[in-house]
Amino acid sequence: MITLKTRWLIFSGLFIIVTLSYILKISMVSQPSPQVEKSFDYLETLPESTIIMVSFDHEASALPEIQPISLALLRHAFKNNLRIVGLSLFAEGTAIGYRLLNKTAGELGKKYGQDYVFLGFKPQHIAAILGMGESIKDVFPEDYIGNRSDTIPLMMSVSNYDDIDIVISFADGDRTVYWIEYAGPRYGQQVMAGLTAAMITSYDPYLASGQLYSVVGGLRGAAEYENLLGKTGKGNRSMPAQTSAHLYVIALIIAGNIIYFRNRSRQGRG
Amino acid sequence: MELGVIIAGLLTLAIYSFLYRDNPVYRMAESLLIGLAMGYVLVIYWQTAFMDRIFTPLFSLGDFWVVIPLILGLLMFSRFTKKYSWLSRIPIALMIGAGAGVSMPAMLYARTLKQMSASVMPLINENGAFNIEALVVAVGLISTLAYFYFSREHKGLMGRTAKLGTYFLMIFFGATFGYTVMSRMSMLIGRIDFLLTDFLHVL
Amino acid sequence: MQTRVPLLICLVFGIIMFLQYFSAHPVARAIYQTVTNDWWQVIFAFTLIVGVAGYARITLKKLGQGRDVPYSLVALGGLVLMPVLALIGGTKINSPFMWAFENMLAPMQATVFSLLAFFVASASFRGFRARSIPATILLLTALIVLIGRLPLAEMISQYLPKATFWIKDYPSMAARRAILIGIGLGSMATALRVILGIERTYLKGE
Repeated sequence: MITLKTRWLIFSGLFIIVTLSYILKISMVSQPSPQVEKSFDYLETLPESTIIMVSFDHEASALPEIQPISLALLRHAFKNNLRIVGLSLFAEGTAIGYRLLNKTAGELGKKYGQDYVFLGFKPQHIAAILGMGESIKDVFPEDYIGNRSDTIPLMMSVSNYDDIDIVISFADGDRTVYWIEYAGPRYGQQVMAGLTAAMITSYDPYLASGQLYSVVGGLRGAAEYENLLGKTGKGNRSMPAQTSAHLYVIALIIAGNIIYFRNRSRQGRG
Repeated sequence: MELGVIIAGLLTLAIYSFLYRDNPVYRMAESLLIGLAMGYVLVIYWQTAFMDRIFTPLFSLGDFWVVIPLILGLLMFSRFTKKYSWLSRIPIALMIGAGAGVSMPAMLYARTLKQMSASVMPLINENGAFNIEALVVAVGLISTLAYFYFSREHKGLMGRTAKLGTYFLMIFFGATFGYTVMSRMSMLIGRIDFLLTDFLHVL
Repeated sequence: MQTRVPLLICLVFGIIMFLQYFSAHPVARAIYQTVTNDWWQVIFAFTLIVGVAGYARITLKKLGQGRDVPYSLVALGGLVLMPVLALIGGTKINSPFMWAFENMLAPMQATVFSLLAFFVASASFRGFRARSIPATILLLTALIVLIGRLPLAEMISQYLPKATFWIKDYPSMAARRAILIGIGLGSMATALRVILGIERTYLKGE
């Protein structure tokens, strides 16, 4: 039976192990998985000046996973001179998305309005996704910082999904499903996802059927993408801590089962 | 150290105090979180829905048709009166009806037809090899659907198929648990990174 | 009238929005864009305002009754603080509003979710038992995935990551697909019931 003391031991053990492995800075190489390679190859082979859409569909709580993934993909896109139309279908993702876009754009000398634009947030995600299939400027008459969309140079080349090569949705929930189900069948819009690890298995059927092009999932996915990109970031730096946390949970599972079977055999004998 | 980082660090520790036990410090932080979250969403929705969709079109562009959604939206406030609360059903019915109408083709195509067609894969490859994965997917799909079919008693062949479906579901739950642990640990790593790097300057 | 009018509106808009999917006619497109871009988004925003107003009302009632006074005051304070900050300094980056979001709201939210890591660890020790065949399958799958997604796995054996992906892409995916198909069929049936007025739960709760 788990007592309060055992609970504190488990909590403290987890905290100490993760903290120590984060401090020790052990180097670990993450081999790229097929999905991450597919995502990387897609962006790598897009012609320069291709316009992609990036949607920050997540809460602030998902930042530890989503930020490394989105930084890696945005850096890759900007490095390959792709043009980005950013937006958010989650109120909290708005400020986060704007900051991340500006940060990566600044690193690579990209200009707002020409190389990227951030349109902001619109409530009712289904309405927004469907509306953009007809006219993005109708859904977002102004961008996040108050410029009229029809005066922004980049937006002059963008009417609707026909002008967007792929939508990359960074999500910690089911927002990407709406991109797949509403933008996909009706407008033929291709969708890629950057997801928290917890959501990966939920999207497997869409991956298998081709409705979702590819997924970069979790901190491990971010680490793999960073390796492909040749730029270390939080993904790689977190791998030792992730490893030790997993091993700790595995040890707890095994220990719990050993205790369970031992007690069961004692009860059997008794 | 910046004031913002100090406040963020203290609030983080206040939330973590819950690990010891429920306490007033945690409850204060939790109440603050709820209030701030609602206030934030209120501001964002005000800007993106009211300013962009009502005030600017109405007062700057002279588009008077926006009065219709404005009136429909205002009807929502009738919920606070006993006599006229039924008026709030009108905009709700519009939203629900429109949502249902729009979702039907999407559900039919994306979740049903496309998924079913993707499950039909050849059992023999072009090079004559047996495609075990196609068999696994077909068996898994049929047996799990059998498990969720409650209009018939799970006895005999149906029962055995449903039991096999249970095993496939356990594989799904096990895989999901593994990935969920990965995700939760990542969130913890993110907070520890903040505490060690920005708050305590250990790293 | 109090029930019939909303049901009629639900029926009309449900049919219109369903039929417009199959039409490229300019009128159909115009109706579709008006409903999705304007009406739907505005009404949705108002429902949120109503929700917030409802919460404020309940909290003020609690204050009036003298229950949870400090917590209610803090919650209301937070609710009022954000709009006030937005009015003072706007909502763009480096404004007081964004400062509050980045240094108070976001860290607290992230921390609340990170608490789950501890409870997952505790639950792993306490509840994860190989009591039966299904439980053992669940346990083994979880262990394979937990190890298989680590950089360590590739050092142990190249088959570990391959096994993880195989499990995820085939048997696990098949079960999830069955759930998805079930949800899809159920959603369609529910949507039809809502449009036809058989399902009326959305009319309750005033």
